[in-house]
Amino acid sequence: MRKRMWLPVCIAMILTFLLTGTAAQAGNTIKVGIVDTYTGPASTYTNDVRDAFKLATDKINAKGGILGKKIEFVTRDDKFKVDIGLSAAKELIMRENVDILMGTINSGLTLAISDLCEKEKIPFLVTFAKSEKITGEKGNRYVFSMNENTAMAGKAGAAGLAKKPYKKYWIAGDDYEYGHAIADSVWNHLKTLRPDVELLGQSWWKVGEPDFTPYITAMLSAKPDAVIIATGGAGCVPFLKASAATGFNKSVPFYMHTATEMSTLAPLGLTAPEGVLGTSNYFYYFPDTPENKAFVKEFKDAYGRPPKVGALYGYITANFIAKAYEKAGEINTEKFINALEGMSIGSPIGELTVRAFDHQVMFPMFMGTTKKVEGYDYLIATDIVTIPGKDLMPSIEDIKKARGVK
Amino acid sequence: MDFASNITLSALFQQSLVGLSRTTILFIVASGLSLILGVLRIPNVAHGSLYMIGAFIMYSINLFFGGGQVGFWIAVLLSPLAVALISLVVERGLFQYLYEREHLMLLLFTFSITLVFGDLVKMVWGSDYRCVDLPAAFQGFFTILGFPFPRYNFFLIITGPVVAFGLWFLTNRTRIGKIARAAAVDREMVGAVGINVSLVFAAVFVIGCFLAGLGGALVAPTQNIRQGMDHAIIIEAFLIVIMGGLGNIWGALLGALIFGLTDSIGILVWPQFAIVFPYVIVVMVLLFYPKGLLKSTW
Repeated sequence: MRKRMWLPVCIAMILTFLLTGTAAQAGNTIKVGIVDTYTGPASTYTNDVRDAFKLATDKINAKGGILGKKIEFVTRDDKFKVDIGLSAAKELIMRENVDILMGTINSGLTLAISDLCEKEKIPFLVTFAKSEKITGEKGNRYVFSMNENTAMAGKAGAAGLAKKPYKKYWIAGDDYEYGHAIADSVWNHLKTLRPDVELLGQSWWKVGEPDFTPYITAMLSAKPDAVIIATGGAGCVPFLKASAATGFNKSVPFYMHTATEMSTLAPLGLTAPEGVLGTSNYFYYFPDTPENKAFVKEFKDAYGRPPKVGALYGYITANFIAKAYEKAGEINTEKFINALEGMSIGSPIGELTVRAFDHQVMFPMFMGTTKKVEGYDYLIATDIVTIPGKDLMPSIEDIKKARGVK
Repeated sequence: MDFASNITLSALFQQSLVGLSRTTILFIVASGLSLILGVLRIPNVAHGSLYMIGAFIMYSINLFFGGGQVGFWIAVLLSPLAVALISLVVERGLFQYLYEREHLMLLLFTFSITLVFGDLVKMVWGSDYRCVDLPAAFQGFFTILGFPFPRYNFFLIITGPVVAFGLWFLTNRTRIGKIARAAAVDREMVGAVGINVSLVFAAVFVIGCFLAGLGGALVAPTQNIRQGMDHAIIIEAFLIVIMGGLGNIWGALLGALIFGLTDSIGILVWPQFAIVFPYVIVVMVLLFYPKGLLKSTW
């Protein structure tokens, strides 16, 4: 009885495979597969990437698409896990026949998918993973980074800190790839800019550490002039919270890469600490240009909330795809990549260019300090200084060295 | 690098105080877990989810009443009750039919509940980080021996002994507490003398989950309320319960003290490798006391 039950099930499954397979091939579209984390804390960043990507593709499709083809996309949830994300990427390539892959916020997973895409010859546009290895040491012909990376953020942070009179530093952060990468990057650049700085000590906590009070009081007892905080994602909010509760921001100045981002500051409301130095790629209130205002209005009308940094990444990715295919003149992967190398597009934050050598978009960085400003129910970045992208890019020599190319 | 260079007596004292405030939360959550484990013999992995739900409900109630003193106190009192209500539904609807199953089945079952609760939280509250603002009286810090100490942590330190006393009173001075203790030792005998064991179990389960909700409500103002906070706490709570002796709430207190203090002192002594300190202590304790520090029944 039981054995016989299996036969119809198997036949049904095979039929479904065949049907969906032919359906995917028959469509006269450009298909983009997005693998990203839609479960857990990271989704507060990734939802904006997807929503802005949809906004941009809807606009492109309404104008008739690219080369007469519409862009469509499918998403897969990687649950922030490398194995799940990698099999999702494989599934998108094999079964959904996607032309392009996009994602993810997990640096480890991104490196794994990048390897896969090199083998399968599928372009992979990275949105959010910040490891500098993606376009540096582990870069390849098929991977492009549509966001800033730890090397660039570190250079920006070091440039800002070097102008301050601080000498004795403490480093504290998340004990994983992102935390160590950004801390090393800030510190190494700071030491070249200011050879007189001194490292008093370091604290490393586990990712997702909920309560930073003991770490802050321990740092205070070492009496540093300034602290470099290398925590990202879910750690930013409770760290700022603990620093406000202990008055840490008033007694010791500190720099944290994503401190000024809206994902970090909005949940804290007006109790967030003032005077924290942070860097970001995007604010919906800066730069105050017509392009940015138009983008913010468009996003707000569609989703009822202002766009966060992820929205910029999603939006430019769609526009880069459209422009690159148009320049290539046909739907051809190799021509698409050749077209994308060195390409520039207009964006809400001004013109952005893909560096031809390493496929890294040359993002400018906005450095500012947190402050209460009338008219906002949360703190925003003020005294914003723009550091141009070309000053932040790792040198081509350094990348060649990291890749072991002579 | 600079091993232990910054340790002064006042820094040590300060760090112990911070550790004690953290101990309070750990104790409240772990004691609930231990109570359920001791009496019902359920390794309730969903305890962490109830803690998370407690924090989210705290956020919503506080928001509803517009924050401030009023919102804060109503939220702290109501959210554990709301969690207790949820747990009552779960117990009467599901758990009461499963007490006779083996441990592994119960473990799998409670694990599946964490997944359900996790998705429910995502559906109700979404994936953005949430924060609870403290009322003005709890904001800011005292300066103790030259170091800042957050006012709210002071409140937590006071809450710890109050909850411990409440639990002592419940288990030693009330009828239900005495029956619960008896049921932990020999549940057949309790049934044999004509007591409705099923109702006792329900009551104990609800009390244990109330504690999870209370822990969540109290911790809410100190961190960001988010998905995934359930997994972080449940691991620590289980370690504490195992270290203290399965099912013994005083063991949970002892375990929480050891865990909380080694954590905060470790951060001061050797910040670069602070992560390992509490776990090393757990290993050491279990090496010498494989069954935990205190007896399983009390």
